[in-house]
Amino acid sequence: MGRVGIIGVGHSRFGKRSDASLRELAFEAYREALDDAEIDTSDIDASLVCSATHYDKQRSPAGVVAEYLGLNPAPTFNVEAACASSAVGLRTAWALVNSRLHDIVAIVGVQKMTELSSDEIQELMGRAGDVMWESPFGTTMPAYYAMYANAHMARYGTTQEQMALVPVKNRKYGTKNPKAMFQKPVEIEEVLKSRMVSYPLKLYDCCANADGAACILVASRNKVQKLSDRPVWIAGLGLASSPMSLAGRTGPMTSFQVTKNAAKEAYKMARVLPRDVDIAEVHDSFSITEILNYEDLGFARPGTGAKLLEREETDLGGRIPVNIDGGLIAKGHPVGATGAGQITALVKQLRGEAGDLQVDNAKVGLAQNIGGIGMYAAVTILRG
Amino acid sequence: MGFEKFGKHGYVSHAKVAPIVDYLKKGELAGTKCLECDSLYFPPKADCPKCRSTKFDWVPLNENCKLITFTEVFFAPPEFQKETPYLLGLAELEEGPRVFAPIDSRITRDYLKPGALLALHPSTNENGAFYQLEKREQNYLRKR
Ligand SMILES: [Zn+2]
Repeated sequence: MGRVGIIGVGHSRFGKRSDASLRELAFEAYREALDDAEIDTSDIDASLVCSATHYDKQRSPAGVVAEYLGLNPAPTFNVEAACASSAVGLRTAWALVNSRLHDIVAIVGVQKMTELSSDEIQELMGRAGDVMWESPFGTTMPAYYAMYANAHMARYGTTQEQMALVPVKNRKYGTKNPKAMFQKPVEIEEVLKSRMVSYPLKLYDCCANADGAACILVASRNKVQKLSDRPVWIAGLGLASSPMSLAGRTGPMTSFQVTKNAAKEAYKMARVLPRDVDIAEVHDSFSITEILNYEDLGFARPGTGAKLLEREETDLGGRIPVNIDGGLIAKGHPVGATGAGQITALVKQLRGEAGDLQVDNAKVGLAQNIGGIGMYAAVTILRG
Repeated sequence: MGFEKFGKHGYVSHAKVAPIVDYLKKGELAGTKCLECDSLYFPPKADCPKCRSTKFDWVPLNENCKLITFTEVFFAPPEFQKETPYLLGLAELEEGPRVFAPIDSRITRDYLKPGALLALHPSTNENGAFYQLEKREQNYLRKR
């Protein structure tokens, strides 16, 4: 038993949601979470709206989201850590509940990206890196991850064919997730022949911008015991930072130190080892990222991440199923909602509610969420 | 003002280290050195996070470096689309600091292995001044 538990989760359909606004997407996830927890809005003491707000038309979106969900006058504020916003929101909520300031807190991860014009998206893309020393040379998000990919290929012999196994696996599971953006599987050949984005990463190696929302309701131990007959506990939390500039980082660029640091903290707090993890959701913003994550989280030795894919160890039925809800690559990446979406998938697994995709006897779940180009990483460990 | 002249397309106008642009225009590679603790910074820093001193000097830098990793960008931000595909690299200078820079377009991918010998050379374009990673021998010949 932990000190802070999860009493409800909700998840909108991710994708190009031309049918819904930011606040309406938030409502979809929020409504599902409240129904799941069987509580009312009046039970919620505070809300954290997690989004990378530079993508939103609405400035300071916590204002309208809290209003639309009916959460005034309870405290609300935005949490921003790029792609890791809602994982950081969960950590923040844990602290608010653990400190006894609040009993029940709603984490609402939400992002509306597809209504930006392609000019706006492109302009934002150019400023993803260090805007003084790196963006002036034409950097992009894929370019940074591609540099890690090339370093890993040169040092360990990792191949583009091996990287292609990540979208092949994740898109396969996307077909079983009605909330995923992409519902069609891909073959290795299609991945390899897709348009080059930043060598060696091709279109199908990359996740896609999306719209969507996911909501997590956390509560103090007392409330959890009163409200929930199948609680999931927050057992470990890890969060770390790395220099934003690539030049500020050290080592051969074949791993994310930021993930290793966050994982160390989370494993220690949860008192578990990598081999104790029954199911994981990792940040597959790009194919190479999932491979590095296996290594940085301790699921594989340095340089051997791709072997897990070849041996199907991270498939359903394997040693440690990873991203069997489709991951970012199949579900789409509505930046602020992604971390909460990962937690939602784990909670369903730990409660035994994952249907065809249920991992037998899943007790320990791990989510890893990287922010931006790797300046933030969060690792969260849950226990059923 | 002035820092927008740094790079192939500048996003930031105001910086205490804006004189880097003048050094690069003169064909000189310069970093900053903290006057309190001697830490060398490149790209330059006006402030020293190690000792919190704000006193620094501009110092010349040895341009020799080795590649750590690279990429070739095909899908680029608007200001860079006309240049695609282009190479970007991360290299380590002999004096220690790492640098993120464009790679000379005459270099081909097969040369770009970790440890490849390169030189960081000042350059200019219509935007202003920048530096790029070039093969050492090309650089050597040009100097003669
Ligand atoms: Zn100093």
